[in-house]
Amino acid sequence: MDDQPKEGGEGDKKIVHTYALVKHSDMSDELKNEAIEIITTACEKYAQNYELAAKIVKEAMDKKFGTFWHCCVGEGFGFEVSYETKNILYLFFGGNLAIVLWKCS
Amino acid sequence: MAEQNNIKRVSIVSKETSSFDDHIGDSDDATLDDFFSDECLDDDDNDEHELDEEAKKARRRLKQIRASTFVRGGIGEGDEDSWLRSRQLIRPDDQMDLTDSELCEEIPKVLSCENKNIPQNLVIFSFREGAYIPLPRTSNVITLFEHEGTAIHVESAEAKAQIARDGEPLAIPGFADLKSGSQTGTTTPDIDRTADAENAEGENEENEDDAGSEAGGEADAEGEEEQKEVAVGTPTGPKKKLTNQFNFCERAALTYNSPSRSVETQTVPPPRSSFGANVVQWHIYDSYNEDFERLKREKEKEMLKEKKPGLQKHVEMKRGDAKTKAAEEFNRKYFQKCQILERMVNQNIFDEISHDYRYYEDPSDEYREDDGTLLPLWKFTYDKCKKMSVTDICLNTYYYDLFAVCFGSFDFIKQVSEGHVCLFSIKNPSFPEYRITTESGAMCCDIHKKYPYLIVIGQYDGNVCVYNLQVGTKEAVYVSQGVNGKHSEAVNEIKWGEDMQDGEVNFYSLSADGRVFNWVLMQNKLTLTTIITLFVDVNPVSGPDGTVMKMKASGTCMVFHPTNKEIFQVGTEDGLIFKCSTAYSSKYLMIYQAHYLSVHRMDFNKFNSNIFISCSGDWRVKIWEDMRSDPLFIFDLGASVGDVKWAPYSSTVFAAVTTEGRVYVFDLNVNKYKAICSQQVVPRKKNKLTRIVFNHKLPFIIVGDDKGTSITMKLSPNLRLPCKPPKKQQWLDQLTLQIQKLERLLSLVRELPDGIEEAQDDVATEVGSN
Repeated sequence: MDDQPKEGGEGDKKIVHTYALVKHSDMSDELKNEAIEIITTACEKYAQNYELAAKIVKEAMDKKFGTFWHCCVGEGFGFEVSYETKNILYLFFGGNLAIVLWKCS
Repeated sequence: MAEQNNIKRVSIVSKETSSFDDHIGDSDDATLDDFFSDECLDDDDNDEHELDEEAKKARRRLKQIRASTFVRGGIGEGDEDSWLRSRQLIRPDDQMDLTDSELCEEIPKVLSCENKNIPQNLVIFSFREGAYIPLPRTSNVITLFEHEGTAIHVESAEAKAQIARDGEPLAIPGFADLKSGSQTGTTTPDIDRTADAENAEGENEENEDDAGSEAGGEADAEGEEEQKEVAVGTPTGPKKKLTNQFNFCERAALTYNSPSRSVETQTVPPPRSSFGANVVQWHIYDSYNEDFERLKREKEKEMLKEKKPGLQKHVEMKRGDAKTKAAEEFNRKYFQKCQILERMVNQNIFDEISHDYRYYEDPSDEYREDDGTLLPLWKFTYDKCKKMSVTDICLNTYYYDLFAVCFGSFDFIKQVSEGHVCLFSIKNPSFPEYRITTESGAMCCDIHKKYPYLIVIGQYDGNVCVYNLQVGTKEAVYVSQGVNGKHSEAVNEIKWGEDMQDGEVNFYSLSADGRVFNWVLMQNKLTLTTIITLFVDVNPVSGPDGTVMKMKASGTCMVFHPTNKEIFQVGTEDGLIFKCSTAYSSKYLMIYQAHYLSVHRMDFNKFNSNIFISCSGDWRVKIWEDMRSDPLFIFDLGASVGDVKWAPYSSTVFAAVTTEGRVYVFDLNVNKYKAICSQQVVPRKKNKLTRIVFNHKLPFIIVGDDKGTSITMKLSPNLRLPCKPPKKQQWLDQLTLQIQKLERLLSLVRELPDGIEEAQDDVATEVGSN
């Protein structure tokens, strides 16, 4: 997990945070850390293509933790999802991205 | 003739092989092989001419087929059969182009069974003969392939046996057709014939399958049988095949099918929850800011933590001290609250006693002439001191409801392992306010008048220690140190002295070793100076080795003059009272031959400092005037008197306790010969009273016994009668009246002439013992 805040400047200047900030999650720590890592990698790799990033995350999670995972990556959206308890992760990344990842088979 | 044919065929085959294999296939090769084998048979068996004839025909036919095929394939120009083959055959580059005549030319080649390539003259050296000997010629047969057949010859013994048993073997109809066809229809095109032959072969195989016989390899055998049949010409008989010992039979059995059954279960679906949120940029921004702040704070905290161990130790110590101090502070506050609560509870428990103490005045006193009574109030005990004697009781001058009780033992044999000093408050009779534990039995104590939190304790082992109650009761502020820095025997009386000129706090202690020390509280230690050493006024005793020793007087009690602080008096074990001054270390101002046994306690009158009282183990209480060697009054109490005290409220009242457990209160103004109150306070057999103290302000006394109990008793009104001012002198206050009262009384005694005084002594003695 990339916890290092990147400071855009000194003092009052805007600080750009790039690390993953978990907003809501009921996952076990192990699962959560893995998921965060996958999301971080995917979002860094496909910073311009959210669709592809979401796809990568979904597929990686499916492969590692079984079907069926769903992933949304975006800058602004609303969602209301039903998920298998202990399988949701809602986090912010890179200062402007929100990623919601949940499992519902 | 046959041989020539053979050769011809072989040559053709060698030329054509490449094109031939493509479309004729494996089955044709098989037939070809069959023919070869036939030929061999023919060669061996020349008798069968029909067969030979037929074989010749077949060979010719085959040649034709092959030639035509070759012509078509080799030239590639299709005549009437060009539609059959559209494929251009690949010809090797080095193939010779031959004309038709050349192709039709017959080239004879003779095969002989002799191998010219085998060397004829091979030799080997024989060691036995010592010469080269010729090797025997090697065989020219090379086995390329060997296959064990499953068929048996129809004429072999086994076959014959089978035939005899089972009858004639089955003839294959297809094959027979083929044979007959070949015999009859020679006009049919060669290709068609071949196709027919193929078909027939296929049918043949099908038939075999139907019959459930063995597969493939048996074709040879069948072929043989076929030919045999052809030769015999009787293709009928029972459908049986010859079997040899390697044949096997197939057997099959049909078992029951297991019945199938389906089982279903339904599991509880995994629990689900739902979650929803709206993603907007400012939420993300805010969340990041919040998290960042949190991280910052954590970092700062960690920095602080990391810094701490880096700092110097004493800083840490200070921090720790501060922490413990804070904890102590908290504890103290908490403790105070608890104390208040405890007092409240005690007040409720001892509500009646409190009322008595405050308001009960014995109404029966009005109907008595002069006598008074003592009303027991609270009893103060401390669990750890139940078996110790009360060795001293000392009132706090500032907090008049607070008093210190020393616990120890007077008995040399039954000394206690540790002493206690408990400070009780009458507000809380159930538990001491302060507890001080000393290393050996506490013998005496004194509370400083100016600093009511300073308490000095004299111990049985000769040590003295000073406690500051403000600091705590766990550790002494000052302790006497070393063998030379302490008394060599029990400290019997200890008193705070007047502050010295430079303000140093000091105290005096008297010990059984006959010395009086003055202790000064320095910055961090006690310094002691010997004030006086008391020697008995007898001749020095000579020791066994010639040393001469002056006998020391063992001091038991000491009082300071109330007004002249230099003057003090010491009572000793042999009944003497020394009047000394701190100014002289070797001289006594006065020696009173006071008692026959050890003087227990002395007390100066509160109103007249020239009058003092003493008590002793010889049952007597005596009142003395300063510098008068004879007592003014003598009272015999019938038991060893532990303590005697003047009342603070009256110049003529004193109280004494005896070992028989009685408290006596005298008022000389009322009765010069008899106690106005004599009361048994504790069981006579069990307990002995040791100490008595008047409270300075409140009308009660505290009595200590040898079972660690301190009893407070209220004095009834008759025991504390105030002086009634004469009618003419109403303005006079109590103090002057009290002094006047005592003076009046004294004048009565003093007036007596010397001779009569003696007599009065005796009278007094007698009276007292009543």
